[in-house]
This record gives sequence, structure tokens and C-alpha cells, in this order.
Amino acid sequence: MIEVKNLTKKYGRRRVLENVSFTAEKGQITCLIGINGVGKTTTLKAIMGLTPYKSGTILIDDEPLTKTSYEKITFIPDAAIMPPSMTIRDAFEFMKDFYGSWNSARAEELLAFFKLKEEFRIAELSKGNIAKINLLMGLAIDVDYLLMDEPFSGIDIFSREQIADVFTSHLIEDRGVIITTHEINDIEHLIDKVILLDNGSVLKEFYTEEMRSEHGKSVIDVMREVYRA
Amino acid sequence: MEITFNNRDPVYLQVVRYFKEQIAIGNLTAGQEISSRRELAGLLKINPNTAQKAYKEMEEQGLITTERNFPSRITTDEKILNSVREELILEAVSSFIASVRPINVPLEELIKMVSEKYSQPEE
Repeated sequence: MIEVKNLTKKYGRRRVLENVSFTAEKGQITCLIGINGVGKTTTLKAIMGLTPYKSGTILIDDEPLTKTSYEKITFIPDAAIMPPSMTIRDAFEFMKDFYGSWNSARAEELLAFFKLKEEFRIAELSKGNIAKINLLMGLAIDVDYLLMDEPFSGIDIFSREQIADVFTSHLIEDRGVIITTHEINDIEHLIDKVILLDNGSVLKEFYTEEMRSEHGKSVIDVMREVYRA
Repeated sequence: MEITFNNRDPVYLQVVRYFKEQIAIGNLTAGQEISSRRELAGLLKINPNTAQKAYKEMEEQGLITTERNFPSRITTDEKILNSVREELILEAVSSFIASVRPINVPLEELIKMVSEKYSQPEE
């Protein structure tokens, strides 16, 4: 489990995160939603130790971020990770050298799943295909937790569907996944848990199926209530 | 295999309902082997934990049986299978009644209309 407790961060005098607390379980997909402003990406970066924060605690399987716990997590940003001149094959070779836990068979499987070819150059990939390659890179490293920044944003509908298909397939295994998004349309059925952020604070944290069972509300219904209040 | 899910009812119950419909129609028959939870999540494009919950619910209702290390199967208990058909029909009739009741149609007229419509081929 990833536990974020009272995370507070400032950029100069501006408060970016204020007392942010939530948990994300292994084997579940947790979705950080924020319709505007900063907070989502900063939270992911703080979990990865990529940005300093003023106060708060972040625990991964009950441990603070250390060299060992760092190996349990990958972060997938929303831009191309690899240099544009590389082919996908080059990128795989690079990853293999860089990560001891790189799983070549998994990488090949995902490449076939996405119907992409090794000889494609990163520079030539569409935004949708970049998103697929990023997801592939993240899943081909054997880790317990996957943090993904906006995997569904700004890409064509078919790429969205293909990426969504990965989330419902065996390829995701029982990883704990945290994704950020500002739109929830057509991924409501994929996610276990929702954290609604606004202006750096958590407004609500809930399980989607519980919300449907107990209150008959969709994620969008709850977003309407919370953000329009 | 496709279901159009609504976002306000629990997805696992919508999945259970889908299985009940398939049983009532006869697409799923007594003792038939069904997809694994993983396969179902992929087929219906739903969260694997939700698929798991749907199977658990169906096991509790006696609709499917699972023996350790074997694929789940539709029950062979005829009593349960028949009750599924009855349950779905009753539900459909209740919702039909709920939607026509406010219009205050005399029952005889309604029955006449239903039987005429029912015998017409589907458009």
C-alpha cells in the first residue's frame, strides 16, 4: 500500500499541496482527479521522491522511500520518455541495460498487443502511440506500483480504448496503479478508487462500486457535487 | 460479449444480471464452463476486482459453482436455473406496470394491447 499522510508543499509562498492524505492499495487502480490547477503531478512526483516537500509522510508498504522501496515503483510521465532519434528496439535495449528487472518477454507481448513494431522511431510516433510506449515501458519493469501521469489525456479514442484494455487484461497483473486524470469519461469502469483534488487539497476519497451501491451515484455525479459546491 | 453499463448501478450487479439473462435466454446452460475472472474483465472491459466480485456474488446466489483449481461452471441445480427465468420475467413485468400505471389504462384494454403487440413480429 502507498500511504500519503498530510503532504504539504509550497512553491515559494504559494501552497501547492495542503495536508494531502490518501492511500492506494496494491491490486487496485486509484485515480487522482483534479479538474484544474496543480497538485496531481506534484503528488506523484513527491511519492517518487522527485520533488521535495515541506511536511508530511509517504510510506510504501509501511516503509519510507528508500533505495529498496524505490525499486518497487515506476513513474510514467505524460511525455515521451525516450530520445526521439531512438527506435523502439533501441529503447528496449537501453531499458534492459538500465533496469535489472526489465522483462523482455512482457515488452514483446505488449508491443504485439499494441500492434507496434520495433523498427518504429520515437520521433515518428503519434501522441497515442507515445502513451502506449510509455505504458509498455512501465509495465515491462517488474515493480509492484505504477504511477501514471495522465495516461488517457489528449490522445485519440482508439488509443484510449487500447490503453484501457491493458488495464482490464492480465498485463496489469496485481500491481497497484495510481493514475491522474482530469476527465473520467469512459474510464469509470476501470477504476477502483477515486481521490478528488482541488487547489492542492483532497475533497473526497471513495470506492466507485461502494458509491454506486450505497448512493446510486456515478463518479461524475460526485464530481458535480464536489466541484460545483 | 458486450454490455452497455450504466454508471450509477454497481457494475458487479450489472454483470450478475447479464449472466442471468444469458441463462434465461439459454445461451448459458446447466454445467457449462464459463470464462475465468481475468478473461471476463477483459471481455467486458471492466476492472478485474469487479469481475471477481461479480463471481463471488454469483457463487453466493448459487448461480455458479467453483471447485478449487477448476474453471467455474453454471450450476446444474434446475430449481435455481428456473428461478432465474422467473425473476427476470417478474422484474420486466413490474417495471412495465410501473411505467403504464400512471397513464391509468383499464387492465382489459392493456392486456388486449399487450397480446396484440406480442404476437406481432419484432420490428
